[in-house]
Amino acid sequence: MRSNKVLSVLVENKPGALFRVVHIVRLMRLNIEGLTLGVTNGGEECRMTITVSGDEAAVEHVARQLMKVIDVLEAHTYGPEEMDSRELALVKINTDRVSLAEVQRNHSARIVDSSAHSAVVEVVGSAQQIDDFVSGLGSANVLDIARTGVAALPKEVQR
Amino acid sequence: MSGARAIVEALEREKVEYIFGMPGGANLPFYDALWDSKIKHVLCRHEQVSAHVADAYGRVSGKAGVCSATSGPGATNLVTGVATAFADSSPMVAITGQVSKAMTGRNAFQETDVIGVLTPVTKYTIQPLSAAEIPAAVKKSFFIAQTGRPGPVLLDIPKDVQQEEVEITFPESVQIRGYRPSVAVDSRDVERAAEMLVKAQRPILFGGGGIRIAGASEPFTALAQLLMAPVITTLQGKGTFPEDNPLSVGPIGMHGRAEANKIVSECDLLLAVGVRFSDRSTGNFHEFAPEAKIIHIDADPTEFNKNKMVDLSILGDANEVLMMLFEAVARRAAKKTDDNAWLKHLEEVRETMKGIPAYRDSYSELSGPKIVKAMREVLPPESILTTGVGRHQMWAEIHYRVLRPRTWITSTGLGTMGFGLPAAVGAKFARPDVPVVDLDGDGSFVMTEQALATAVEHNLPVVSVILNDRSLGMVEQWQRLMYNRRYIGIRFQNIPDFVKLAEAYGVEGRTVGSLAEFRKNLKEGISGDSPMVIEVPVSHEEDVFPFMPPGKSIKDTVYGTTKESAIF
Ligand SMILES: Cc1ncc(C[n+]2csc(CCOP(=O)(O)OP(=O)(O)O)c2C)c(N)n1
Repeated sequence: MRSNKVLSVLVENKPGALFRVVHIVRLMRLNIEGLTLGVTNGGEECRMTITVSGDEAAVEHVARQLMKVIDVLEAHTYGPEEMDSRELALVKINTDRVSLAEVQRNHSARIVDSSAHSAVVEVVGSAQQIDDFVSGLGSANVLDIARTGVAALPKEVQR
Repeated sequence: MSGARAIVEALEREKVEYIFGMPGGANLPFYDALWDSKIKHVLCRHEQVSAHVADAYGRVSGKAGVCSATSGPGATNLVTGVATAFADSSPMVAITGQVSKAMTGRNAFQETDVIGVLTPVTKYTIQPLSAAEIPAAVKKSFFIAQTGRPGPVLLDIPKDVQQEEVEITFPESVQIRGYRPSVAVDSRDVERAAEMLVKAQRPILFGGGGIRIAGASEPFTALAQLLMAPVITTLQGKGTFPEDNPLSVGPIGMHGRAEANKIVSECDLLLAVGVRFSDRSTGNFHEFAPEAKIIHIDADPTEFNKNKMVDLSILGDANEVLMMLFEAVARRAAKKTDDNAWLKHLEEVRETMKGIPAYRDSYSELSGPKIVKAMREVLPPESILTTGVGRHQMWAEIHYRVLRPRTWITSTGLGTMGFGLPAAVGAKFARPDVPVVDLDGDGSFVMTEQALATAVEHNLPVVSVILNDRSLGMVEQWQRLMYNRRYIGIRFQNIPDFVKLAEAYGVEGRTVGSLAEFRKNLKEGISGDSPMVIEVPVSHEEDVFPFMPPGKSIKDTVYGTTKESAIF
């Protein structure tokens, strides 16, 4: 069965921790489609949210194996209904073809920067909302996209 | 104090006796500091040898063996040895020199990203970036290598860090946040397991390498006696239960004992301790022990339900869990006697299996099984046997009875040819008081034959018994049975001459022509005070049976080449 889960991994904030985590993901031949990480808890720890595509059993196997990695403090998988998740995307729009006013009217996009022929707008939402925003613009109108990947926290404090 | 001196002092504080290794540019400051130490450096002629020696030292003594290498090629030569230790959960600390920090990432001379190379095959890697970090780094390395499920730890130390002079303090203990090697055993799980065990009609105890690691042979044996339950093992678990005990049925697996493979298919309860249900033990996972409820005891929670789904898993140190389990069973039931249907059935199975071709005496005077059985007759019970990888190893699995824990040292997880002789050297350093013999194949032996030099230089009376079939026998067998005799890449010319090879190292080398001669020479070998090589010419055509073909299950076992083998 294909997985729609993300891996949420809390590691000690030290060099090489990401390498160890990614090694296990690679071993199980999962493709990383999104990876966010940031330092937390006073700088001692780092939370990674990894969106992978692949077999569900492989994703669960990775989570278990990650618990064995010495720099890993916690590793869980979360399905879409178990977590609150957000992603941010910067989208560069061809303003010769679409009007910025229209983009803003229809969506919760914020203008980050605009120049003669293009503008960069910021959208925040679920991965699906960002997909919808981009396809709503029409691919011909989009010059470039940078997505952060999903950041997620479980709805319950502890599982 | 210099970083190099700090490494040495930290190692002394860990009570390290030996370092197995070879110096080079990037670890010279460390070697220079060793000059003043009581720790003995043992020069090995290849870093793979250093790592295997340290590995076996660890398996026999239970304390991490230490190997050391310079950066670049020294470090990469360690890889096979470290991976071998990792696959068999052996405690080891590998210390490598690294190019100075300022040279990092510049493709400096002998710069290899050894952390990148070894991360997948180590339990952990540590690279101190200042001399002040060294004492804690060394302490952590040993703590991680030796606790929980043991494994190799890499300590990679840049040369400038070895040379740096700073104020050094040595911590008494270290904290590692993400590492909790010991857990409290859940006594409710133990009670449930006891309940299942006393209710079972056809229980079997299944012991793996985890029992050796935890030093849990005693409670394991006691529990088997209390329940009067037959005991099977993995290949790594051989000897964790004395194989001369009437309850011992032997190892299961691809080349396991026929009785063991048969009886495990019939049990209604399997108590598995310190095993990982590897494909080489179980064959097809789904068809393994199909009628059994399974209880799994292990120190590593990621082993539970990894390959085989189990009914109850108990996390903890095998020694502690088994002692609790013994108590819990003893509270519920009196000691069973051998007068029960299950043990009678076992006797029947034994009787039937006696007839399989593999157990009948083979046609030639010098055959693998006969040699191996003769070794058991000659060697005192406490002797240590190490092996290479191949048919000779499998013959020992089937026919050599291991009587004491930590006396059977073999590479199973990785199956590394070349392990045998260095392992014998490591075992002898750990247990100079007992005879140490390496049972080897001609192919395996030449991979690390230079370990003879170390054996000579340290007057180690290790005996290498080489079953010389002039072939990569195990592979030949597979090509014969599964590839329609399309032999490729397996036959050797009549080289090397093992007697001359031994003599070139200053080692006594002999070729034997009969079993009696073999026994006599082996006796001499183990009572001598220097190494010996005994070459036994054997046929390359004698295959090892029983054989459960890869991916198949026990019912597909082949018991011999002849047609009659089909009846079992
Ligand atoms: C380093 C290594 N290379 C290749 C193999 C594959 N292999 C397994 S057994 C074997 C043959 C071993 O031959 P030998 O040591 O002569 O033992 P025999 O089977 O003849 O007893 C080979 C090539 C291996 N296990 N390890």
